[in-house]
Amino acid sequence: MNRLIDVVLEDQSVLLIKMGELTYQTLYISIKAYLEGSTVQGQVREMSDQLMLMADKVEARSFELITRFQPVASDLRTIKSYMKIGYDFARYGRYALDISYINDQITGLKDCCSIEIKKAVEKMSEKVLQMVKISVDALRKHDVKLARTITETEREVDEMYLNHLKNLLEEKNTTSSCIVSSALMSRYLERIADHAVYVCESILYIVTGEKTRLR
Amino acid sequence: MITTITQEQNNMTKPRKPADQSQQEIDHTAKMQAINVNVWFGKKQVLKSVNLTIKPNTVTAIIGPSGCGKSTFLRCFNRMHELAPNAKMTGKILLDNEDIYNSHIDPVQIRRRVGMVFQKPNPFPTMSIYDNVAAGLKLTGAKKGKQLDDIVKRSLEQATLWNEVKDDLTKPGTSISGGQQQRLCIARAIAMQPEVILMDEPCSALDPIATAKIEKLVVELKEDYAVVIVTHNMQQASRVSDYTAFMYMGELIEFGETSQIFENPKETLTDNYITGVFG
Repeated sequence: MNRLIDVVLEDQSVLLIKMGELTYQTLYISIKAYLEGSTVQGQVREMSDQLMLMADKVEARSFELITRFQPVASDLRTIKSYMKIGYDFARYGRYALDISYINDQITGLKDCCSIEIKKAVEKMSEKVLQMVKISVDALRKHDVKLARTITETEREVDEMYLNHLKNLLEEKNTTSSCIVSSALMSRYLERIADHAVYVCESILYIVTGEKTRLR
Repeated sequence: MITTITQEQNNMTKPRKPADQSQQEIDHTAKMQAINVNVWFGKKQVLKSVNLTIKPNTVTAIIGPSGCGKSTFLRCFNRMHELAPNAKMTGKILLDNEDIYNSHIDPVQIRRRVGMVFQKPNPFPTMSIYDNVAAGLKLTGAKKGKQLDDIVKRSLEQATLWNEVKDDLTKPGTSISGGQQQRLCIARAIAMQPEVILMDEPCSALDPIATAKIEKLVVELKEDYAVVIVTHNMQQASRVSDYTAFMYMGELIEFGETSQIFENPKETLTDNYITGVFG
């Protein structure tokens, strides 16, 4: 039986998937520009603002669902989790914007002469984009198995982040702006990775009803 | 496309276990306890090995689709099902650890200790508001005069009806609104100073305002009594109860704290019923 609530829940999930796709694009553009040294701040700002509007829409629709349908059990968990995921996706967008600021206001990776720094940030960026993709794909099909795989990658990112900070403290062959830039970049990447984990935890909660920590 | 309940979710849900057939231990903290209760009407079995604990000073909601046996089960708690022709029951219903079906127990005494409020308000039509509340006490000859007046007043106050009817106590019980009549019936049950109050869909014939008053009253009543309420209204169960039991086809499928049942039911059948997939 297709229930009245199913129609609105379906709209909500379609909106979230669109958000997920947009967050990936926004982060991809912003990270790529940072690594290559190009300016995308205007474009990223527009995309980030759009994500904020979409998150507001997810929230408004969640309240509408609660008011109109008084959801319980799996419906309630889905609505609650969708609202959280909407926020996580909006945060992806804000971090993408922050990354574009570093490039424009401090320096991009292109101007850092240390190969080690470049390699470390590139590798971390790649891993984090992979995590964002996992979170969006896991949401698409409520894929619990895929969601669980994020733990391992998150661990790797955390390790890379800490190692990177240690290396920066010992780095002598580069400029201070490069050190500040890559420290900020790695911090933002680490935070994005955390939000990817939150998204996967929400997916597990929707499907299993259990609050699982994947960190 | 995402669906609310995915294949993965269906795969992860546990198969439903049949009701526990084993002998349940007596819970000495319970106000009432159903142990392995089976009920038949003629050859038709309507309750199958139902076990449930009613804790003191709590509201327990019993939910389930029509015909699942919830009203029959409720009536077992004060031996009212015995009034139906061809009814047969096995198992035990304990009230303060004593089986109410023991041969020496008087069913009338049980119904005094375990009061009942029905779906439709049913004040005695020929009696005044006062007499409706006093009827049970007058019948047993237990109380008279000022003492009786005090109990009537206290019962009407506890049923949050006193202020609305205190100047009309001699008017017929049927002269007040449906919601007031239902609170009058609750006052009538309270007047007998029961220990447990059973309510069989007490709001199904009432408008939303009268319903809200009864719901508030139900929550207040648990200060003094254990309340068991049968309801078809999921939101009502989630608003008023501390524990919820879900029944289906004569079996108790799931019992737990209301917050758990309505946020994270363990059984797929419970989830499907309360989210309206079937019912």
